[in-house]
Amino acid sequence: MKDTLILSLENVRSYYAKGNYYVKAVDGVSFNIFKGEVVGIVGESGSGKSTLSNVMIMNIKKPLNFIEGKVILNVGANFLELNTLPRQELQKIIWGRETSIVPQSAMNALMPTKKIRDFISDLVKDHFERALNEEEIIERAKQRFTDVGLSPNDIYRYPFELSGGMRQRAVIAMATLLNPRLLICDEPTSALDVANQKLVLKTLEQLRKREIVESIVFITHDIATVRQIATRMVVMYAGKIVENSPVEDIIKDPLHPYSRGLLLSVVTPEPEIKKRGISFIPGTPPDLANPPIGCRFHPRCPYKMDICEKEEPPLKKVDTNREVACFLFNK
Amino acid sequence: MPKTALKPFLKYVGRRFFFLILTYFVAITIIFILPRAIPGNPLSQLLSRIAVQGAANPETISNVQKSLMEEFGVGKPIIVQYLSFLGRLFRGDLGTSINFYPKKCLDVLAPFIPWTLFLLIPATLTAWIIGNTLGAVAGNKRGTWMDNLVLNTSLVISQIPYYWLGMLLIYTFSVKLGIFPTQGGYAQGLLPSFSFKFITSVLYHYVLPFLSIVIAAIGGWAIGTRLLVIYELDADYTIFAVNLGMRDRTVFKYVFRNILLPQITGLALNLGSALGGALITELIFNYPGTGYILFRALSTLDYPLIQAIFVILIVAIYFANFIVDFVYAIVDPRIRLGQGEGS
Repeated sequence: MKDTLILSLENVRSYYAKGNYYVKAVDGVSFNIFKGEVVGIVGESGSGKSTLSNVMIMNIKKPLNFIEGKVILNVGANFLELNTLPRQELQKIIWGRETSIVPQSAMNALMPTKKIRDFISDLVKDHFERALNEEEIIERAKQRFTDVGLSPNDIYRYPFELSGGMRQRAVIAMATLLNPRLLICDEPTSALDVANQKLVLKTLEQLRKREIVESIVFITHDIATVRQIATRMVVMYAGKIVENSPVEDIIKDPLHPYSRGLLLSVVTPEPEIKKRGISFIPGTPPDLANPPIGCRFHPRCPYKMDICEKEEPPLKKVDTNREVACFLFNK
Repeated sequence: MPKTALKPFLKYVGRRFFFLILTYFVAITIIFILPRAIPGNPLSQLLSRIAVQGAANPETISNVQKSLMEEFGVGKPIIVQYLSFLGRLFRGDLGTSINFYPKKCLDVLAPFIPWTLFLLIPATLTAWIIGNTLGAVAGNKRGTWMDNLVLNTSLVISQIPYYWLGMLLIYTFSVKLGIFPTQGGYAQGLLPSFSFKFITSVLYHYVLPFLSIVIAAIGGWAIGTRLLVIYELDADYTIFAVNLGMRDRTVFKYVFRNILLPQITGLALNLGSALGGALITELIFNYPGTGYILFRALSTLDYPLIQAIFVILIVAIYFANFIVDFVYAIVDPRIRLGQGEGS
């Protein structure tokens, strides 16, 4: 293996318990994230991509249940199987230190009635036995605030004293404060205007280039954003990965019919897509409590074959670095 | 508090004070009008009492009535009465009670106030503390047996009429079991003093009214707090803190701090209205508080006494409100620093 593995998911299933049935939000997902990668996870609402972000750090809270699979994280010296660790252990040594999530709505993500500096204090206290690191961390926080384009003195302010864009950047600074190996961004740009979106993407890029974070997972439904920042794109449909390819490849030549439909339905298209025109995918995503038998996309698929209604297509390598789950490429 | 935070803070306090004066004026006007809207003659009771006591000479009674009407201004145009009421109030004079003539209203009320405060302030605080703690724990352990227990018990208790609860307590503990006395603030025949005997008697009589208020109020607090906790545990800042690996205890502390803010308002309003007594509870237990005297005043249409009770009550509620705003400004930086005014 030429690259260092950061995170590996092996056949992970995680369902929401709703009364006496399950909603299969993440169903048999496998993929690897290597050092230096920015992986864009793309899918429409309800495809399980936000649930996936919780599963990646093993933050499993009722009604979500972890059914099976392995979540393996590189923690520097060795690899840890996160799904075997108790919650306290995850809180202490993994969350915030090895992994971090930049949330969807950063506007209200910071504790509203505490100064950011006091929040940092609490964060340090909860992660390290002795508070001797605190001064060092405060200095680092000031540096990080400067890095993301804020004033170092902003850490002495309350979140409500910052504007929306500033808050978003403050959240990124806080999320990366303990230098997590893996940064998961859950639609961090969807609530921002274009100028702030650009700024956030640039900030994330910087953090990775300077190796403050080693890999970034970028969860979004916005393909234009993925194109700007990601190196690889993972397309999710109905709780499963349907395609996993380098960004340029998938934009030029999407393999899975769903990826194709998704790219064709982009409203602000990239030049390559523009040539093909805009269309939409007929039908609606399936109910994850009762997904269709066989390939989950078959009721909406223009290339449907008989086998699609009977068997589930496995995610298979079709090229050196491309994977797709479709019988069109896997006879 | 840093220096920069002081200016908006003073501005905030000043603004609160202005509105306080304004609403106080409105409230006083309302309590002047409302008792006079009740049909009936406030002097009739007093006159009939005088008639019974003194010689039943119609001319004397008529003379007494005239002088009393002069004294209380009953026959005068309402606007004149109102202005003289305001004028006296401004000088700090709450007037003379009709029913307890010639006692001053303040002198009538004075002995009842400590009893009421002694009953209601500890009871309100106890209910607030227990209710909030139960609600917060239940909300934090949502869906467990503990949550179910707290929620269902609270729902039932909060729907029980508190006067019925009072009667139930009397029936169970006084009539059937004979543990506690049925009524009064202390044993009959004792004179109020700081003797050991008197104090134990007071505490002994205190238990049931205290319990009836505490139990009835716990449910409401617990339900409200539980809901707030559940809501806050789903808030963006909670999720962010959890994902950063903050301990559950730290996160719960954040949540508790934020939900206490609205609950402090409720507490202060309750404490402010405590001065008015727990009308029905005091009646049921025959407890010598302001609620009891308010009932007497209302049933005899003693305008000045009704007004006096409400004027004091409103001042107390406003004072409590003002203190809350003050405390709020200290605990909530968003209010202290004037959120939304542009920085």
